[in-house]
Amino acid sequence: MKRFTPMMRFRTVAAGTLLWLSAAGAAAAQTLPAGPAEFANGAVTVSGNVSASIGSRDDVAFFNYTDYEHNALRMVRIAVSGTWKVTSRLSVLTELRSENSEGVVPYALYVRARPFAHVPIDIQAGRIPPVFGAFARQSYRIDDNPLIGYPLAYQYLTSMRPDAIPGSADDLLLMRGRGWRTTYPVGSQETAPGVPIASAYKWDTGVEGSFTSDRFDAGLSVTTGTLSNPRTRDDNGAPQVAGRIGWKPAFGLVIGASASRGAFLNGAIADRYRSLLGDHSYTQTAFGLDGEYSRDHWIVRTEWINSRWTLPQLGVPLIRQPLTATSAYVETRYRFAPRWYVAGRADMLTFSRVTGQRLFGGQPTTWDAPVKRFELGTGVYLQRNLTLRVSVQPNWRDGGRIRHRTYASTELAYWF
Amino acid sequence: MSQRRIASLILVAAIAGLWPAGVGGRAAAGTIRGRVDVKTPVAPEPQRPDVGGLGLSPAHEPTDRRRSVVYLETAPRAAFDAREEPHARMDQRNETFVPHVLAIVAGTTVDFPNDDRTYHNVFSLSKAKSFDLGRYATGKSKSVRFDHPGIVRVFCDIHSHMSAFILVFAHRYFTVTDDDGRYRLENVPPGTYTLTVWNETIRGDGPKRTVTIPDGGGDIDADFSIR
Repeated sequence: MKRFTPMMRFRTVAAGTLLWLSAAGAAAAQTLPAGPAEFANGAVTVSGNVSASIGSRDDVAFFNYTDYEHNALRMVRIAVSGTWKVTSRLSVLTELRSENSEGVVPYALYVRARPFAHVPIDIQAGRIPPVFGAFARQSYRIDDNPLIGYPLAYQYLTSMRPDAIPGSADDLLLMRGRGWRTTYPVGSQETAPGVPIASAYKWDTGVEGSFTSDRFDAGLSVTTGTLSNPRTRDDNGAPQVAGRIGWKPAFGLVIGASASRGAFLNGAIADRYRSLLGDHSYTQTAFGLDGEYSRDHWIVRTEWINSRWTLPQLGVPLIRQPLTATSAYVETRYRFAPRWYVAGRADMLTFSRVTGQRLFGGQPTTWDAPVKRFELGTGVYLQRNLTLRVSVQPNWRDGGRIRHRTYASTELAYWF
Repeated sequence: MSQRRIASLILVAAIAGLWPAGVGGRAAAGTIRGRVDVKTPVAPEPQRPDVGGLGLSPAHEPTDRRRSVVYLETAPRAAFDAREEPHARMDQRNETFVPHVLAIVAGTTVDFPNDDRTYHNVFSLSKAKSFDLGRYATGKSKSVRFDHPGIVRVFCDIHSHMSAFILVFAHRYFTVTDDDGRYRLENVPPGTYTLTVWNETIRGDGPKRTVTIPDGGGDIDADFSIR
């Protein structure tokens, strides 16, 4: 009997979803829900998103694999969001997602409270949206990702792992350009993917407070994981603190600055090597700047993130400095007709240098392979809440087995 | 189906220039009045759960979805006479289109002023009129001229809970009900007409009634109930 592989499952689910979405698109507008559904006299509101993207395979170069080990350009995603308004100032929010029909995951599940009726301060606790940066929250708004792929900072898997670490600079350089399949001698012996700089689609668990006004907004969170490794349960006994301040100096212009710091290494490693590592905390520290300007039919967004991981210096050649990764992107969308838009994103990811002995001739080399990416696309609104997108995405990597790949992808997305 | 059908009827009336038997050019005009009782529970348009937000979204005004449009399915020939170009207005206020239902005659230019302290992006993908005004700030206004009869659904590209209806008629014999569902259709020439109601909650054809304005004019009562 033929084995039902993940690829076959993806094809089956993708075909089924595309068929359903196509049929939905052909149907009259009123046959599809156009907005969220309400229950219990408006106390419960439920909405949903269904998207199916079909693109070239990426299981050789892994440019587009996410921290859920799914190809962002070949994915079937079903998401259901819900709000239960307990009172006018207290609600419970959740989002359940299934990607490629591999089970249902609660991406978000938290309580939102506004303690004072006339003060715009909100408290959220549970599995909460990230306060850091802009993309992770934007991507949850409708159609706010104008392209199919994600920015590198939020998706590309580096060779950094929280549960396994290199014993030396050579161990690290050996994994250069292999973030989707990384193995290190210290910690977990399993071969597993590394982490992106910031995870957009895996949310952290903790508490956050935010303040909003016409000109400013600010958010501060304390969570169990870190920016690159959000967690449901704490695994190292040390929280992450993250914050962002946003400023709206003019209509359509938003400027934000973010920072985060938290213990990154898995507690199991720290416990096992305590005699060697001491009580030192090995952290991820990140800074970010984001900006958005929109006017008429244009939106331009940009984001810069710098992340620094400190790792123990275990063996020779030593990893003497914290390892940094820096990513920046600029994206734009122009709606040139009521139904049509074009969009593009220029994206880069670079790394700091380390010096090995056996590899790269002992010359300072970036600890992971820098990546550049462009994505150009167009979208058409088949109806208000049904969008067809097509994009082309060339990628270049300065290392690894595959150094250049161009992907084409098509996505059909429906929301209500 | 119902919206398309209504649009077709409006268009047919416009092209054919139909007028019912018995219309007398010099006879006194009458008034059709009554009430449209919307019995279906009409909840305000819900907002999508803002799961990615860091706090409560600003409250928006509930849309008044009980408003109906009462119109003559066929209209007197005089209804199609050229008139000066009318203007109408649909505000964007507290993240709501006001009014939620606007009825206009073809050729009307509608202004869409932004009275909010946030961007809005008014657009429509309707067959009768497709447009996208882009993002514009508070105090600014953009306009659209509606030349073709039909139903135009209006949305905001930024705020998914914002929606409105613009019904474009080829003639001027239509009216929007008031807060109590009452309406008055004035200056209707004598004749026999089919009176129809449109409401966004109606699935399929709206209720119809045949009304006759006598040669001497006068008031005709016609109430409707929508379940």
